[in-house]
Amino acid sequence: MKLGVVIGVVWATKKVKEINGCRMYIVQPISSKGEKKEIPLVVADPQNIAASGDKVIYVTSSDATEAFDSGFAPVNASIVELVDEIS
Amino acid sequence: MIFAKVIGTVVSSQKDESLNGKKLLLCKEVNYKGEPLNSYHIAVDAVQAGEGSFVLLSFGSSARMTEATKNAPIDAVIIAIIDDIQITQKIK
Repeated sequence: MKLGVVIGVVWATKKVKEINGCRMYIVQPISSKGEKKEIPLVVADPQNIAASGDKVIYVTSSDATEAFDSGFAPVNASIVELVDEIS
Repeated sequence: MIFAKVIGTVVSSQKDESLNGKKLLLCKEVNYKGEPLNSYHIAVDAVQAGEGSFVLLSFGSSARMTEATKNAPIDAVIIAIIDDIQITQKIK
């Protein structure tokens, strides 16, 4: 699981039906101190918990499909948690 | 997932049986601003994308997780046609 900040939204009307109703965000990976690292990536939000500007935890690779209730979705990264605070 | 622009089609008459009826598209990777990067991908089309479309590509084992690509020997699929991308935050 990795830490990132939502920096943008991807709008797409035509999608495969497995990801209908699921928003897509652009997430900038950050360090625990909030500094940016690596390049931004596209992340799905299957539980609709994030919004622009939020600090989130996301998972990548085949684990990302498990974040969907169906467990069957063609995504490479999913938001799974909102971060309140890092101490 | 990555952004890509569809730049052509791939035609093949001899292929694995489970690929029959699937359209293969040649895609060039782009960044979120739409600027082209250096890699190309051949992806199965699950959303009827056309040439010139700005699309979202999914990779690896996740690419098999659509109705169109279930149990097929593929590792890239087009999962959405992108209308717009909005960048709302700047991170230092």
